[in-house]
Amino acid sequence: MKRLFAALLSLCLAAALLTACGAPAADPDGPVTITIWHDKEDEVAAVLQEELDQLAPEIQVKLERKDGLTDSLKMVGNDPNAAPDMYFFAHDKIGVFAEMGILAPITDFVDEETLTGYLPMTIEAATYKGEIYQLPLYFETLLYMYNRLYMSDDEVPATTEELYAYMEQTTQGGHYGFVEQHSTAYYAAGWLHAFGGYILNSEGQPGLDDPNTVRALEYHKKFVSLMPTEGEYATVNTLFREGKAHSTIGGPWLVPTAREAGIDLGIAPMPVVDETGNPIAPYSGVQGIHVLKVAAERKHDAILKVLDVLTGDSVGTAIAAASGCAPARESCYEDPAVAEDEMVMAMYETAQNAVPMPNVPEMDVMWTVSENLLVEVNMQGADPQTSAAAAQQQALSLIEQMQ
Amino acid sequence: MSRFKRWTAALLALLFLFVMAPAAAFAEGEDHILIYAQVPEDWQAPHIWAWADDGTNAFAAWPGEAMEADPDNPGWYRCWVPAAATNIIINASEGTVQTTDQKIEAKNTWFTIAGPEEVTVSYDQQTQGELPEYVATFKIHAQVPESWQDVGLWAWLDPDGTNAFDPWPGKAMAAGEDGWYTASAPVWVNRIIVNGNGGEVQTEDLSIDPAEIWVTVAEDGSAEFTYNDPNAPVAEDITVRVKAPADWAGPCLWAWSAPDGTNAFTAWPGEPLEDTGDGWLTLTVPGWVNSLIVNGSEGSVQTGDLSVEPGKDVWIVVTDAENAAVSYEEPADAASAPDSAAAPAAEPEAPAEETGGMAAGGIVAIVVVVILVAGGVFLAMKKKKS
Repeated sequence: MKRLFAALLSLCLAAALLTACGAPAADPDGPVTITIWHDKEDEVAAVLQEELDQLAPEIQVKLERKDGLTDSLKMVGNDPNAAPDMYFFAHDKIGVFAEMGILAPITDFVDEETLTGYLPMTIEAATYKGEIYQLPLYFETLLYMYNRLYMSDDEVPATTEELYAYMEQTTQGGHYGFVEQHSTAYYAAGWLHAFGGYILNSEGQPGLDDPNTVRALEYHKKFVSLMPTEGEYATVNTLFREGKAHSTIGGPWLVPTAREAGIDLGIAPMPVVDETGNPIAPYSGVQGIHVLKVAAERKHDAILKVLDVLTGDSVGTAIAAASGCAPARESCYEDPAVAEDEMVMAMYETAQNAVPMPNVPEMDVMWTVSENLLVEVNMQGADPQTSAAAAQQQALSLIEQMQ
Repeated sequence: MSRFKRWTAALLALLFLFVMAPAAAFAEGEDHILIYAQVPEDWQAPHIWAWADDGTNAFAAWPGEAMEADPDNPGWYRCWVPAAATNIIINASEGTVQTTDQKIEAKNTWFTIAGPEEVTVSYDQQTQGELPEYVATFKIHAQVPESWQDVGLWAWLDPDGTNAFDPWPGKAMAAGEDGWYTASAPVWVNRIIVNGNGGEVQTEDLSIDPAEIWVTVAEDGSAEFTYNDPNAPVAEDITVRVKAPADWAGPCLWAWSAPDGTNAFTAWPGEPLEDTGDGWLTLTVPGWVNSLIVNGSEGSVQTGDLSVEPGKDVWIVVTDAENAAVSYEEPADAASAPDSAAAPAAEPEAPAEETGGMAAGGIVAIVVVVILVAGGVFLAMKKKKS
C-alpha cells in the first residue's frame, strides 16, 4: 500500500511540476503566445499591444511590465521555462546579453533591406560586434528646454558662451538661468562629447583621462558654479517645473509635467561649444525589441509575424503621438502629425549629433566611476586632471576584474 | 472585524481629507473672468475674495486681491478672478465692510453695491468702453526705509520700453500689516523701480523675472531682492544623532534642502559629527534641512540620500552604505544597534517574476495540493479496503 501511495504521489508530483514549469504543449495549429517583457509607460505599451492584437487569435501577444527587467533577464534569460520570448528595452544592455549568449540576431527575422529604412544612428546603437540584436522602435535623447515666461525665443542661447552670459545675468534671488544634472554621467556626457571626450568608446575603453574629456570637465565647471550644488534629478526638475529656472537640459519625460505646471515650454537645439564648434551632444537611448535565443527557434514563425507588424510605420507614428517619442523609421517623419510635433522634431534634430549610449558590457562599471569623478570635480572642487587620472585607473581596474 | 472596518473608514476619511483639502490657489493657466464693482462712497480700497465650490480659494489671504479703479468709469473697480471661482465677496476698508456671499456664473459680472446686503448682480455690461484683455500678473513686495511715504511701483519691458503704468511714479503699492508694500504688475515686464515720496526717492532699475518677488530697499536706495518669501516661517535648528559603522573613519554629515539644492555646509563631505559620549554622534543643522547623507573616511563611504522631515530632531542608525534607519525618537533598541535598528535605505528591486513557467510559490502550492489530493485518495482507498 505504501509503495502504491508513493508511486501515486510521485506521479502527481511529476505531473504538477510539468504543468507548472513546462512550456505550453506545442500545437502546430493552435494559437501561439508570445510574451514580451518591457519597462515602458502605459501609453507606449498600449500602442504596441493594440498593433499586435491584429495577430490574434493565431498569435496572442502578452506585454508584461517588468520591474528590474535586466536583472531578471540575467537570471532567467536562458531558461526556456522562465524567460520571455522577447523584451522591449533600451539598447545599452545589448552587449551584456549578447555576451551571455541569450540574444538572437534580429537579422534572423528581419531582412537587411527592411533595416535600411531606419535612422542609421538607431541601427548603430542596435549593433554589437557586427550583429544587429534589436529592432529599433523609437529613440530619446536630452533636449534643451526653456520657460518662455523668462526666456524669449530670441534670447535662446546659440552657443555655450551666450548661455554662460545669460546665466550670469539672470541667476539671482533664488532663480537660475540654467540648471542641469551637472554631476550625473548621463547628462554630463553631452559636454564631454562636444569636446571630443568620452566616457567609454565602442571598443570598451574608458576615456576619463582623455585630454578632451579633461578639457570638457574644466570648461564645464564655470557653468556648474552658477547652478545649485545639488544637481540631482529631483532638484533640477522641480526647479524648472516650479518656475525657478529659466532653462534646463532634460529628457522628454519632463515635458508633460512641465506643461501641466503651466509652463510655456520652448524646445531648442543644444548650444554649440564656442571652443570646439560642436553642439552639446547628449547620449541617445534607442528603445526596441530584442528576441531571446530560447524562443527564436521554438516560436520562429510567430516571432517573424510579430516583428513584421513592428516594422510598419504605424507603430512609430502611434508611439510618437502617444508619448512624444521620436520614431526610429525614417519614413515616419513623412507623416504630417510627426513632422509637426515640436518635441519629436527637436529630438530628431538633436539626435543628429547625439551619441548612442555604449552598448558594450564595460559600460556597466562606468556609470559609478564617472559620477564619482563628476562629484569630485563639480562639488568638491577637485582638480580635473588629477581626479580624471585616478578615475581612469579605477575604471581600468574594474573592467579588468569583469574580464 | 467591525473595529477593522472603523479603522479603515477613518483612515480613508483622513486620506480623503488630505487629498481633497482646499488648495490655496488655482493652477496656472486657468480661464479668468472680469469682476466689476461699484461700491458706496465710504468703502475704501475695495478688495475681492473669491473661491470655488470645492473650497479652493482664488487668493492666498483675506481680504483678497485689491480691485483696480477703472479710469474710464469713475466709481467702478475691477479685478480678474479664475473662472472656476464662482463665489464672491466684495469687501473694503481693510475688510471691515463686506457684501454677503454672492454666487455667480462663470462669466464677466458687474456688482452694484449699495450696502452689505444690497447688491445687484448683472451679467450685462454696466460700464462704458471695451473690456480689457486678461493679462496674468505677479506680485511685487517691497520693504522700504521709514522715510519713504506713498510707495509706488514703476515697471516696464526692456528694451522695448513699454510701460506698465502711466504716469510716473506708477502704481501705488498697498501697505501690509507686516511692513511690506505690495502691488501687482503684468507678467510681460522685466524691469522695475520702487519709489517713494511721489517719486522723489527711488531704487535703481532692477532687472527681474516676472515671478513673485520681495525687494528690500536700503536708505541709500540700493535694493536686493529674492524670489523666496523672507517671511516664511523659519524652522529652528535641529539635532541630528547618528550611529555609524565602526569602520567609517571620522563620520561627517552632509545636509541640504531639496529640491532647491541649498546646502547647509560649503563643501563635501560636510561637517564632522561630534561624539557626545552618550553613544551617539551629534550635529546641529538648520531646521530647513530635509535631506541628509552620513559619510565616513573623508566621504569615500556614504549612505544614500536620506529624506527627513524639516524642523524635527532625527536619529539615524547606519548599518552600512545601503542600510540606514531614520526615526524621530531615540530608537528603543539603540543600544543593540546598528544591526537591529537598520532598515534598507532604498527599496530593493522586486524579485524577478517568471513568465514562461510559474513562480516558486505557485509550484509549492501545487505540490501541497497534490499531496493533499494524494493523501485523500490514499485514505479513501484505505477506508474502502477496510
